[in-house]
Amino acid sequence: MTWIYPLSAETEQPASVLGGKAHGLVVLRRLGLPVPPGFVIGTAACRAFLRDGRPPDGLAAELAAAVADLEAATRRRLGDPDRPLAVSVRSGACVSMPGMMNTVLNLGLTAEATAGLAAETGDPSFALDARLRFLSGFAAVAIGLAPESLEALVRREIEHADGEVAGLLAAIRGVENLIRARTGEPVPDDATRQLDLAVTAVFSSWHTPRATTYRRLHGIPHELGTAVTVQAMVFGNRDDRSGTGVAFSRDPNTGARGPFGEVVFGGQGGDVVSGRSPTRPLSELAEREPAVWAGLLDALGRVEGHYRDACHVEFTFEAGELWLLQVRSGGLAGRAAVRVAVDLADEGVLDRREALLRVSPAQLRHARTPRLVNPDAADLLARGVGASPGVAVGRVATTADAAVRMAAEGPVILVRPHTSPLDLHGLAAAEGVVTALGGPTSHAAVVARALGKPAVVGASGLTVATGSVLAGGRVIREGTLIAIDGTSGHVVLGNPRIASAGTDPRLRRLLDWADEASGDGSDRADAERLDAAHAALR
Amino acid sequence: MTRADPPHSTHDLVVLHTLRCIGFAGLARVADAAGLPSPDTESTLIDLAVAGLVTHVPGDFGGWGLTDAGRAADAELIADELDTADARTAVTAAYEEFLVLNRELLDLCTAWQTRPRDGGATRPGPADQANDALILDLFADFDRRAEVVCAELSAAVPRFLRYRIRLADALARARSGALAYVTDNTESYHTVWFQLHEDLLATLGIPRH
Repeated sequence: MTWIYPLSAETEQPASVLGGKAHGLVVLRRLGLPVPPGFVIGTAACRAFLRDGRPPDGLAAELAAAVADLEAATRRRLGDPDRPLAVSVRSGACVSMPGMMNTVLNLGLTAEATAGLAAETGDPSFALDARLRFLSGFAAVAIGLAPESLEALVRREIEHADGEVAGLLAAIRGVENLIRARTGEPVPDDATRQLDLAVTAVFSSWHTPRATTYRRLHGIPHELGTAVTVQAMVFGNRDDRSGTGVAFSRDPNTGARGPFGEVVFGGQGGDVVSGRSPTRPLSELAEREPAVWAGLLDALGRVEGHYRDACHVEFTFEAGELWLLQVRSGGLAGRAAVRVAVDLADEGVLDRREALLRVSPAQLRHARTPRLVNPDAADLLARGVGASPGVAVGRVATTADAAVRMAAEGPVILVRPHTSPLDLHGLAAAEGVVTALGGPTSHAAVVARALGKPAVVGASGLTVATGSVLAGGRVIREGTLIAIDGTSGHVVLGNPRIASAGTDPRLRRLLDWADEASGDGSDRADAERLDAAHAALR
Repeated sequence: MTRADPPHSTHDLVVLHTLRCIGFAGLARVADAAGLPSPDTESTLIDLAVAGLVTHVPGDFGGWGLTDAGRAADAELIADELDTADARTAVTAAYEEFLVLNRELLDLCTAWQTRPRDGGATRPGPADQANDALILDLFADFDRRAEVVCAELSAAVPRFLRYRIRLADALARARSGALAYVTDNTESYHTVWFQLHEDLLATLGIPRH
């Protein structure tokens, strides 16, 4: 084949051809780990498409052959009314890059195939939910509809309907109507045609303004192009022995040996769509799905052995069977990166030279940010995403007005579902902010960084009510003292101990190694000591 | 709750709706955002306070804010304005385009705020200046696309023109060296953009989830 490669242990092309995502999947296959069967359309096909404005000669025939192989491997057929094959279609350049519309799940679920899946599983909600996800992904990728609009439409239809199946049917009709209104045509009810459209849409998304801006921001060449990974679907929402999650070989916040991570046990249809399925600590798998847990431990050990670095995997389990969907190595921040480098040297995995080169000056600077000491042992209220580093301690205020009022008497932490310009006076008055929703680019995150205040966003375990916050069945009244760590995302009760990096023995050891390498023991800033070592070692 | 008397003059709606979109703020910020002279803004705010639609809180973090009645009155007046202008379809379409741009703007703001600085030095070095210039160029490029959406909005509902002016002003100030006008100032590009987001949600009656 010229354009397409199987996701198999024998595939030898580098990440520049396969894209980072598919390259990682090939590594997993080589390590003997479970990966859903599939293939990858290499970056050369994307480059040819972008150059000529049409798919390259021969791609269509290779795609048909690759789909036939996948059908044979899964004993299913794309668009089949009895045993339908559903696939995921994902973009993946050799560097990670937001802005490209990147995922269509459940492709191949035509109206007829959806009915087949419902009959096969005896679960109409599951099948309809899968079709709805397909339509939403297709609308975002192939038509460029904003995910917010699609989510709002789906939420509205599901809330106003009488029962789960009726809600899913109404939401499906709503998304179909929206697509027809935008393009003048219905979504093709031909699975092969759906695949062709999704592949060319992923190619085209390389040139979206957002993707172009991102490449310019980060110095990524415009001519790389993206690969397209196509895999048989595995369903984390299949039944109550299914789920999905992310597992880290070492704690991404502290660098301590893991495993760490989160898992969502697969709820039924509408629960998942509306985001109501709660995230649980990874360790709950040990009891509920011991085979999945054992498989994950084995996988994390093998990938660490391969990459010689902290790793994390995205996984799904369907009816008790584990599948790995992605692997990445490194990417830890601040003190966690220092700890992993020093520990790997102590474990004999790296020598000191390699350990020093693993830590960047930026990570070292970040290591000086104050952190909560051992927050997992503290009285944890919730865990979100650290969006603006530093520790803040203060009393809970649940509205911006309350934050302003209470700030006159002492430090306040503003806790909101999310923030908007209407909360700016509260953000200005507070020492730190926590939001239940949103990510690192949300309004709260951007404003908190602008104000130099710690922020935790996406703390989904919190529900903000009037005058109180609900956290895991507890009611935290306005005025209660809490502490937040804007690096790790911890939100804890009370006034726990705070550490600055001066007391971190691993940081001291790493800097001693740096002085040994550079031969300069003079009194200088951390970053200069590391820079001198890097200069001497390179 | 009984509804308070609706405001009468054009200024009334401009000031009321400005306050709806920028949130709690002092007189100077309200006047800036509304594009009205300070004395006119203040007398309008006092009229609105008499009508029970806004309220003033004294103190360090004090300022003007909407009452519940003010919020309800604004929602009704803004919906009337939209339907009278027969502009719902046009504003809805422009909002879709806004949402696509919104993600890119947030990428840019995050890149700006988390940009690496030379060795952690207190004064930015030459490499920092080159990096700042690159990101500001990308903001300028983004702004040309934002301008198209703003023009569509202004053609449908003229008051949206004010955002075009404020965004262009923030960008010009940032490019002339006042770097706080990117994300850090109360009239920064990010702040004005987010107020436009709030305005679109308010105008179309879309709740923040």
